[in-house]
Amino acid sequence: MVRAYKVKGEKRKKKGENYDKEEEIEVPLEEEESTKRVKTEHSEADTEAAERVVDLLSGIPVVATDQTNKPGVIFIIERASLEIAKIGKTYQLLNSDEHSNFLKKNGRNPSDYRPDIAHQAMLSILDSRVNKAGRLKALYVRTEKGVLFEVKPHVRIPRTFKRFSGIMLQLLQKLSITAVGKREKLLRVIKNPVTQYLPIDCRKIGFSHSSEKLVDIQDYVNGVNNDMNLVFVVGAMAHGKIDKDYVEDYLSISDYPLSAAYCISMITNAMERKWNIL
Amino acid sequence: MAKTAKASKSDSSSKKKKMKKSSKSGPKAKDMKLKAPKENPFETIWSRRKFDILGKKRKGEQRRIGEARSSAIEKRKKTLLKEYEQSAKSSMFVDKRIGENDEGLGEFDKAIMRSQRERQVKLKKNKYNLSDEDEEDFEIGASLGRDDFDEEVPFDEDEEDYGRDDKSAILGQLNSHGSQNAQAGPMEAEENRKKSKKEVMEEIIQKSKFFKAQKAKDREENDELTEQLDKDFTSLVNSKALLSLTQPDKIHALKALVNKNISVGNVKKDEVADAPRKGPIGKEKPDTYEMLVSEMALDIRARPSNRTKTPEEIAQEEKERLELLEQERQKRMAAADDGSDEDGNASDDNSKSIKDPRTISGDDLGDDLEEAPRGKLGWIAEILRKKESELEGEDAASTGDSESEEDDGEDEGSDDGEDEESEESDEEQGKTQTIKDWEQSDDDIIDTEEEDDDEGSGDDAKKVMKIKDHKQVAVKGKEDGTLQTKKEKTTVKDQQSELPYTIEAPKTLEEFTSLIDNCSDDQVIEAIKRIRAFNAITVAAENKKKMQVFYGVLLQYFAVLANKKPLNFKLLNLLVKPLMEMSAATPYFAAICARQRLQRTRAQSCEDIKLTGKSSWPSLKTIFLLRLWSMIFPCSDFRHCVMTPAILLMCEYLMRCPIICGRDIAIASFLCSLLLSVTKLSQKFCPEAIVFLQTLLMAALDKEHRSENIQLNNLMEIKELEPLLCIRSSNVEIDSLDFLELVDLPEDSQYFQSDNYRASMLVTVLETLQGFVDVYKELVSFPEIFTPISKLLCKLAGENHIPEELREKMKDVSQLIDTKSQEHHMLRQPLKMRKKKPVPIRMVNPKFEENYVKGRDYDPDRERAEKKKLRKRIKEEAKGAVRELRKDNEFLSKAKERERALLAAEKAEKYGKDLAFLQEQEHAFKSGQLGKGKGQKRRR
Repeated sequence: MVRAYKVKGEKRKKKGENYDKEEEIEVPLEEEESTKRVKTEHSEADTEAAERVVDLLSGIPVVATDQTNKPGVIFIIERASLEIAKIGKTYQLLNSDEHSNFLKKNGRNPSDYRPDIAHQAMLSILDSRVNKAGRLKALYVRTEKGVLFEVKPHVRIPRTFKRFSGIMLQLLQKLSITAVGKREKLLRVIKNPVTQYLPIDCRKIGFSHSSEKLVDIQDYVNGVNNDMNLVFVVGAMAHGKIDKDYVEDYLSISDYPLSAAYCISMITNAMERKWNIL
Repeated sequence: MAKTAKASKSDSSSKKKKMKKSSKSGPKAKDMKLKAPKENPFETIWSRRKFDILGKKRKGEQRRIGEARSSAIEKRKKTLLKEYEQSAKSSMFVDKRIGENDEGLGEFDKAIMRSQRERQVKLKKNKYNLSDEDEEDFEIGASLGRDDFDEEVPFDEDEEDYGRDDKSAILGQLNSHGSQNAQAGPMEAEENRKKSKKEVMEEIIQKSKFFKAQKAKDREENDELTEQLDKDFTSLVNSKALLSLTQPDKIHALKALVNKNISVGNVKKDEVADAPRKGPIGKEKPDTYEMLVSEMALDIRARPSNRTKTPEEIAQEEKERLELLEQERQKRMAAADDGSDEDGNASDDNSKSIKDPRTISGDDLGDDLEEAPRGKLGWIAEILRKKESELEGEDAASTGDSESEEDDGEDEGSDDGEDEESEESDEEQGKTQTIKDWEQSDDDIIDTEEEDDDEGSGDDAKKVMKIKDHKQVAVKGKEDGTLQTKKEKTTVKDQQSELPYTIEAPKTLEEFTSLIDNCSDDQVIEAIKRIRAFNAITVAAENKKKMQVFYGVLLQYFAVLANKKPLNFKLLNLLVKPLMEMSAATPYFAAICARQRLQRTRAQSCEDIKLTGKSSWPSLKTIFLLRLWSMIFPCSDFRHCVMTPAILLMCEYLMRCPIICGRDIAIASFLCSLLLSVTKLSQKFCPEAIVFLQTLLMAALDKEHRSENIQLNNLMEIKELEPLLCIRSSNVEIDSLDFLELVDLPEDSQYFQSDNYRASMLVTVLETLQGFVDVYKELVSFPEIFTPISKLLCKLAGENHIPEELREKMKDVSQLIDTKSQEHHMLRQPLKMRKKKPVPIRMVNPKFEENYVKGRDYDPDRERAEKKKLRKRIKEEAKGAVRELRKDNEFLSKAKERERALLAAEKAEKYGKDLAFLQEQEHAFKSGQLGKGKGQKRRR
């Protein structure tokens, strides 16, 4: 259906980044579910209430514990080498171990195809306490080819590489992955550039061993304003470096070149320390 | 033939269609294929790929739009335009020349065909004409010859009918010739055609004939075979081979049979060629042959037996069996709380009380008793049931009240042993009756004696009465008992009589004792063995009852034996084994016996406690019985109909019986060790034993040192004791004590006063204590239970006259307790406020397929997926059709336009011409040339 000639309000295109229509529908559903859960686990709710009363009694000022208001972190994994190819009759995620012959035949450098780096990086982000505490706002991955996709923080990424390549294969062909038993999209290919999805008040920090600015990440993180959202940009490639113009600050956090996963764990550790997440 | 040709043609056309279908994009793709080689870059367009996939060849990547368009137009020109042009016409020219429509034929072939046809027409014309012989011959030959290459000739519609008629005639001829041979070739060729009635009938007849022939042939073969078989058989019978295999008498019969067979066969062969074979022989001589057959069938065949097992397999099975038993034991130890009460438990099920004899049979009573107060002993943590404790409370109250009333002097004087023994005789009466009469018999006695006794008051009335009964009976039976014992004593072992091999199970103790009167111990056991073998339960059903009675008798004999003054310990030991095996055979009865005895014993002990001055500790008989039961029944069960009351009884002894002399201490410490051994496996907590051990240790302290502990004692309900175990002299030697000897000693023996005895007793106590410590070290409350004992031990070690060895031992034990309690203290954790853990965000699993391929439907519902696919195809097709139609319309309208334009142009031209003519006319008229200038005009 075409829109009526003049309807008041914004155009659908300009409504902002609400690319997720089903999310709106699902929110009340989830709430309903949670209330149901509360009803069933009545004792738990009781204890909670009791604790609240205890808190009140002890004279400790009540702080709004709404986590949504707290600042969070956003991770962007740049230059992830996630590429699929048709090998023989099947589609596969290219990977230097298995497809070196194919890559050589096609004039590519096999050592560039390292999807395991991205896998490890994603795992270490999603396994971090920052994520468990709900402080990870978003995770974006941009492949070497320029395909940008978003990963919801509550996705359980497969831990084995084989299954990971399966999920990436499907994502890059189908452009979205839904949850089991729900229509919610957990992974989704989105439009470039990534900056349009970042919050306004955020500090974009890139990591590069080649950077002149060598800092202790803990100190650096502690120095940042408390209600500032932080965006960390980490490269998941085997060689080379990231140079994106949207990055405000390039840091080197170690004298040694680090793997992406370890660099991420350092960052998340620093954030956990800062926010006292145990 | 024409029809087949047509069919093949249609086949090929359908194949073409299929091919067309299989190539997906229809004409377009075909066109592309045809015109692939020359590439005109202006005719192609590309689309940029968004997600480039390496190694993927994309279909329709480069579309040649111009080419496709032009080819489509060409095609329409050929088809649609022609139709359009035809549409206005009322008729059309059809080229019906033979072979003209066929592309594959050359000019020459066409010519041949045409000449053939010409000839045919000619033949048809003079079909009814009379003609010469030659001509006819020619005709047949021609018609036959034509048959061969007719197939290739594509007839036109008009000709086809004729062809068919012709051919059917020919085939009819062929059939009439070839029906005898019935070859497959022509039949097959014929199949396509409809058969006439005659043909069908012929076929049927032919078939039936064929089957008949087949049948006859089969029968013949069959006959031959049977004959052959008979011959073979006779030769076999005559040879020696069969003789060795079968019995001689049978072989005679066989031979006779064969001979007859042959003769009969010879006689009858000619007549009964067709009749079924079995007829002549079977009917004539049914007896010999059939008897033989039936005999053979009835011969016993060798039966397959179970494979002999290798020793490993046997060992494995044994191991599995043991594992299973252990599992069951653990399960019972864990105890479901929902189990019925103790009373219900008694009748619970036999399986509970069934014990495998093997697990215990390794034990020997003698060994255990010899080193009775040895170190490693039992454990108890029996939970006292409410009922039991209530009962106890009542009893305790009653003892206080009725102590003065219970003063039957006669019983006091009587020896313990005799008392018990007489009780046995009472019991025996009960046992001669059936099991169910147990209670009843007791009641009867009560009834009879009720009038005499009138003390019974309050709740205890009945109980007291019961006890009275026993006593009365006891007095009566006393004489018997003494008589028996005397008899037995007097019997000299040398006068051993021969044992009969088959012994009926004795029904009473008297019978039994008379049976084994003069026997040695071994013979007694042998006798029991024979009785058991002779009256085995598995042999006859009524033996069960007999054996039950015998079991009662044997148990009684055991008890009697235990009470005899010169203790025949060896015989007792030997009796254990048959007793255990028999209880395994009749578990239910064994449990009932044990329970009855326990009840009686308890009643007895309650009575004894009430009487001050008399030792209320259990007699040797009771102790032996307790030990026996602890071997017969599983001790580790959470709840057991015999062992639970037994343990309770032992605990009660420890709690309630006052220690008066040294002998009591020996019995008590033996009970403690018995408890330890009973509770070792199940780790039941038995506070009575611990408290008692503590009391004994206290008894080893000097009077003055003890004062500090008084407060504690009050709390723990520890009875104050005389310093019975206090060692006063420094030269002491420790020797192992023999329990049996100790018990045999008189109460006021000097030995009990000696320091040697005290030191040795202390050693045994310490060892028992250590056993308990080892057992209870897992308990959470271990420090609380044992720390006071440890303190006591420390103090005791500080005493003056304690021998060095004993001191060491005490220190060791207290050390052990201290380290263990230290460990427990280490493990204990302080109480904490409940703290809520932060809840991590809920993770969600993504859904993905393995080896995902784009475009495949991963719907688990196959039907739905299929439907979806079909719907999509319909849509696609519809779209395609619409597009085609639109393009057709466009094309047509263009063609019409062109025509119209042509028409218009023509019209305009004509109009112009006319106009020009008119203008000229007018010009000529005006200029005045009309009339005059004829020549001029013509010139123009």
